[in-house]
Amino acid sequence: MPFFKTIRWVVWKDLISEWRTRETMSSMLFFALIVILVFSFSFSMDQDAARQLIAGIIWVAFTFTGIIGLGKSFTSELQNDCLESLQMCPAPKGAIYLGKVAANFLFMLSVEILLFPLFVLFFNLDVIEAVGTLLIIFSLATLGLAAVGTLFSALTVQIRAREVMLPVLLLPLAIPVMIAAVEATRGALSGDPFSFYSQWIQLLIIFDIIFTVVSFWLFEFILDS
Amino acid sequence: MINRIIRQIQRYKGWFGGAAALCIFLGLYIGLLASPPDYYQGELVRIMYVHVPLAHTSTMAYSVLFFGSIWYLWKRDPLVDNMCQASASICALFTTLALITGSIWAKPTWNTWWTWDPRLVSFTVLLLILGGYIMLRRLVDDPVQGGRYAAILAIVGGIDLPIIKFSVEWWRTLHQPMSFSTRGVSISEDILVPLTLMSIGCWLLFAYMVMVRTQILYLTDLLHAKKGRFLSQTHFSQTTP
Amino acid sequence: MIAIQVSNLSKAYGFYRIFEDLSFDIHPGECFALFGPNGAGKTTLLRILATLQAPSQGHFTIFGQDGVAQKDTVREIIMLIAHGSHLYDELSATENLQFALGLRGQTPSPPQIKRALDRTGIGAFADLKIRQFSAGMKKRLDFAKTILAQPQLLLLDEPYNALDHDGVAITNQLIQETLDRAGTVFMTTHDRDKATQIATRGGILKGGHLQLLSSEQLTTDAIF
Repeated sequence: MPFFKTIRWVVWKDLISEWRTRETMSSMLFFALIVILVFSFSFSMDQDAARQLIAGIIWVAFTFTGIIGLGKSFTSELQNDCLESLQMCPAPKGAIYLGKVAANFLFMLSVEILLFPLFVLFFNLDVIEAVGTLLIIFSLATLGLAAVGTLFSALTVQIRAREVMLPVLLLPLAIPVMIAAVEATRGALSGDPFSFYSQWIQLLIIFDIIFTVVSFWLFEFILDS
Repeated sequence: MINRIIRQIQRYKGWFGGAAALCIFLGLYIGLLASPPDYYQGELVRIMYVHVPLAHTSTMAYSVLFFGSIWYLWKRDPLVDNMCQASASICALFTTLALITGSIWAKPTWNTWWTWDPRLVSFTVLLLILGGYIMLRRLVDDPVQGGRYAAILAIVGGIDLPIIKFSVEWWRTLHQPMSFSTRGVSISEDILVPLTLMSIGCWLLFAYMVMVRTQILYLTDLLHAKKGRFLSQTHFSQTTP
Repeated sequence: MIAIQVSNLSKAYGFYRIFEDLSFDIHPGECFALFGPNGAGKTTLLRILATLQAPSQGHFTIFGQDGVAQKDTVREIIMLIAHGSHLYDELSATENLQFALGLRGQTPSPPQIKRALDRTGIGAFADLKIRQFSAGMKKRLDFAKTILAQPQLLLLDEPYNALDHDGVAITNQLIQETLDRAGTVFMTTHDRDKATQIATRGGILKGGHLQLLSSEQLTTDAIF
């Protein structure tokens, strides 16, 4: 199937480029570290306060680092006018979109997995039982961010002031993901039974499906002249 | 050669403007002066006659923008793009007014200028999306590309807004009970007459404003094209050997 | 079958019009060289033929396929070598070829890739990252792509830029091979000496109009 081969080629290309430079992921990691530090200084937290705030802090850090990764996803296509060759290649544009979403998802999720132990360490979290659930929540929310974010990364890369416009356009649209991710993470961290916060996971799944499909359809209008 | 639809607009837009003025004048008169104060809310109910029609109209304006954008991506008619651009800026105007009047209403009823009510939040997000839409159009060099990108944003926003409202509603019921809701108010005839008049008036006003703005945008494009033809002709004649 | 059929093509940027009412035919086996002063719209015309930009008016067909309506079919049979090399800095020459061909639905075997790189004289750098390539080497790698892809229509934007003497010879040889298998080459250039060695027809785009040149006119000085 040329469709799936195209997805594989795009993912392969993005992963190999990233593996050789580690540019995107290292900048995401350092930025996230700084965000964590800023937060821990801005709120002098005891154990209880940390429990209340931590879900929000985690997702603010993840979202902002995610935006850095998403922005790089298409600015990297500007070198040597590679975007032009993506525009005029005969491969289906939707496959290029899905490849980019997959690559962005992998970058963002790996950074999140690397960062999470630091949150545990800095804020004294007790997470042993919740790790599995948290991984599901992180994956679903990251997929939602990547699905809309990849579309807007491709859209803003060809306009002026692209670094500002990506968060300006993306963050308002990502509100449902933020709310659902924060609530589900809070529930999982505080050890509530799964049924207390399963509705948020359902919301994440619905968001992921709707916006992957919609962006998949709209992506063609961005890459085509 | 001016588009047929633009000619029709020129012919009929006055009726819309006149009808809007009449409805709004009558509605304001009945609502602010002639109708009795509400049993529950007293004189405060009168803000509703302005706020609710504004809010309805801004929702309707966004639906026009949403379906117009789908239509534009499908048919690529530049006139539809002009109409989308017009509805977006006018929708932003109505949304801002709805938020301001909502805030004024919230102060005496909820005793705060601002609360994280789902409707307030979704209207604020709507305003943010419209702000992004207007900025986006200015930041793209090629106007055709700008129209396409803006349409994409409007479509994603249109699908997202109900989800945003729904998720904020859920989030609010989880953390604190819902505050005062207009849905609980029994609609009596005293309220219904000015409210309906004002709603129809605002819709007509929106239609009138979109017509005028679409005309302006279309004619500006046409003028640019004519000016361009003139410029190109001098360019062609200078460089042709 | 006509390779490129352009009828009444116009392009305007916003309100500024680049060219108007261009009509010409190019047949298989022809190499068309487009000359013209800077800013005349040579690259714009090339990018329209490459389906990267839409024409404002008029239409064109590439080997019978409409350039706007049947974009996807057209893209399978054309290839563009532009100012940007369309190469990824962090991938090696071989990997870049694999990726570019992969997106065209082709999977060249390692010996094929080796042969293409040898043909363009960069076989020794097969595993070097593009970051370390010079502009001329990148251009040669682009030509290696066309050897593997075998497009029916090859679009070249200033192909001789950044190429050394050998590079020009290889380029003209590859163009000749494309013509030999009934392919077509359309290039923009201002390097008349190098282009006239290979071009069979030409045109001058100036002031928004195209003046067509036969192969005899190409070699006479009077026209330029």
